[in-house]
Amino acid sequence: ERPRAALGALASASASLHALIPPGGAGPGRSGSAPAPPLRPRKSCQTVRISTVESAAQSHTSRDAGVQTDQSKDAVQDFQQEVRVDYTSLLSFLQRVEDAVIKELNKNWKSRAFDGFEVNWTDQNETVLCLHTLSYPEAQDQNLQVTSVSWNATGSVVACSYGRLEGGDWSTEKSYVCTWNLDRRGLNPQRPDLVVDVPSSVMGLAFHPSQPSLIAGGLFSGELVVWDTSRTEDPVIWRTGLTGDTHTDPVYQVTWLPDAKHRNRSRLLSVSTDGKILVWREEQDGRLALAEGFAMVAQQIPRSTRLKKFPWGEAAVGVTSLSFSHFDPREFIVGVEGGYSLKCSTAAATPALHGAGGSVPLRAPAELAFSPHSGPIYSVSCSPFHRNLFLSCGTDGQVHLHSMLQTQPIVSLQLSKKYLFCVRWSPVRPLVFAAASGEGDVHLFDFEKSSHKPALSLKQAAGERPVYCLEFNVKQSRLLAAGDATGAVRVWQLSSDFTEQGPREMSRLEQLASEVMD
Amino acid sequence: MMEETLKRIQAHKGVIGTVVINAEGIPIRTTLDNSTSVQYAGLLHQLTMKARSTVRDIDPQNDLTFLRIRSKKHEIMVAPVLKAANPF
Repeated sequence: ERPRAALGALASASASLHALIPPGGAGPGRSGSAPAPPLRPRKSCQTVRISTVESAAQSHTSRDAGVQTDQSKDAVQDFQQEVRVDYTSLLSFLQRVEDAVIKELNKNWKSRAFDGFEVNWTDQNETVLCLHTLSYPEAQDQNLQVTSVSWNATGSVVACSYGRLEGGDWSTEKSYVCTWNLDRRGLNPQRPDLVVDVPSSVMGLAFHPSQPSLIAGGLFSGELVVWDTSRTEDPVIWRTGLTGDTHTDPVYQVTWLPDAKHRNRSRLLSVSTDGKILVWREEQDGRLALAEGFAMVAQQIPRSTRLKKFPWGEAAVGVTSLSFSHFDPREFIVGVEGGYSLKCSTAAATPALHGAGGSVPLRAPAELAFSPHSGPIYSVSCSPFHRNLFLSCGTDGQVHLHSMLQTQPIVSLQLSKKYLFCVRWSPVRPLVFAAASGEGDVHLFDFEKSSHKPALSLKQAAGERPVYCLEFNVKQSRLLAAGDATGAVRVWQLSSDFTEQGPREMSRLEQLASEVMD
Repeated sequence: MMEETLKRIQAHKGVIGTVVINAEGIPIRTTLDNSTSVQYAGLLHQLTMKARSTVRDIDPQNDLTFLRIRSKKHEIMVAPVLKAANPF
C-alpha cells in the first residue's frame, strides 16, 4: 500500500512538473536528458522496482561483562570546593532574604489555615472487605486451628500453620503448613498451592525476609524445621532434630534475624515456654546447630523498685512472644507467661543461671521489666515508627502501649472480655494497630480517631471462635491476614484510611510517646 | 556573618534543613547530607524557574518573591534571588 501511494504521489508530482515546463524545455529531475527535441513524448517518472532483502543477525555466543567506574581517589568529595562562590553577593542575598524567610516561617508556625486539610491523590476506597477466606478442608475436618500466619518476602504468598491451641491430645496428631499464592490466577481458596505434612503441631511460622520460598516453623515438640516451598520432593531443608540443645517446650514463635556479618543471610531465632531464646546456624548437612542463646531465669530479671515483689516460679518465665526493635537491632522485647514484658539486649554478657549444659552457654538478656498484665502475655510488637513504643496483649483481654523509658504503660485498653491472642502495629500508619480477640474479632485501632475504642471491629469467625494470629502484608500495605479457630485464614483488604499516613501523624505519635509520667 | 544568618534560619522552630543553591542549581551551603542536598537543589531549581516564568508570563512587570510547597509530611520554602543578572 505504501509503495503504491508513493508512486501515486510521484505521478501527481510529475503531472505538475509537466504543467510547469513549457513544451520544448528540459525540466529538472529528468535524469540524463539531452537537449530535448521540440516535440517530445510524455515521460513519467517512476522509480525502478525497489528490491528488498531480509536478513537477520544474531550472536550465538555471548559473554557477560560488567563495567563500573571506580571512585577516583583524587575526586574532590566536597562539592563546595568545586564551585566558585562570590561571597559578597551571597552575603547580600542572604541578608535580603533572611527577613522574608523568618517572617514566612513564623507565619507558618502560627497558621491554622491548613488544619484538617487533606488531599488525596489516589482513589478513595472506603470500605474494608474480606478478599479471601482460605482453608484446607482436610485440616478443618480434623478440627485443627490456624496457629500462625506469615506473608512471604514478595508479599504474594500467605502461609498458615495448623495445630491446636486449646486443649486436646496433639502429641500424635500431625499438622499441616499450607501456602496460597494470592496473585495466581485460578486461586482456589479451598486448595492450597502447597501442603506440607508435619508430624507435630506447628505453633509458629515465619517466611524468610528475602528468599521468597523459605519458611521456618516452630513445633510443639520444641524442634524447628525450615522448608523450601520451591522443592517438589521433600521440602525440608534444615531441622534442629531432637538434641540436647533443642527446646524442651513448644516453640511459640520463630523469627529471622538479619545477620550482622553477612548482609544477605539471616539466622533463625526461636522462643519457647521453656524460657529459652535460641539462635540457630545452618550447617552443611541440613542440620540447624545452636549458635548462641539466652535463658530467662526468674532470679535474674531486673526489678524496678516500683513493681511490687512478686513470687516468681520457674514456669513464670516461659517466653511466648518476642519482637525486635526496628531502630536498634540488638534490642528486643519479650512477653512471658508471668504477664511481664521485658526489654532485652543481644549484647548482654551475663551468663544465665542454669544456662550451661548445652553446647553453647546461654546468657541472661533482660534489662528492664515493665508493669505486668494480669495474666500471660501472648503477643508483643515494637513500633516501626518510634524507637520507644511497643504493644503487648494477653489473657487479661487488654492491650498495653508502653514506652521503653518507663515501667507503667502509657495507655491500657480493654478490648476483649476473653483473651487477646495477637497484636501487631501497622507497617504504614504510625497510629494504627490490629488485635485478634477470643470473641472472633479483628480489632483495628487508630489513635488518630479514638484512644478508647477500636476504629473498626471485623467479625472474622462466627460463634465466638477465637482469632489466633494476624499479620500485615508489608509489601501490599492494604492486606491483613488473620487465622482463626475454625481453621480458616481471612485476607482482609483495608480501606485507604488505614493505609495512608495523614499529615502530622508522626508528631501525634511523638506526643503520645512523650506522655511519660515520672 | 553569613554563617550566622544561616544559623538563625536553621535554628528557627520547625526547620528541618537549609540549602543555599546557586544559579546553576548546585548547593553551596547545606545542613542536609550531600545526596539529599543535590536532589533538592536540582529539583527545586527547575521548579523555581518554572514558577518564576509563570508569574512573569502572566504579568511581565511582576516577579516571583517566594515559593512554598506544602506536602503531607512537611513544607518546602524557596526564597529566590530577584536579580537574575547577579549570579554568584
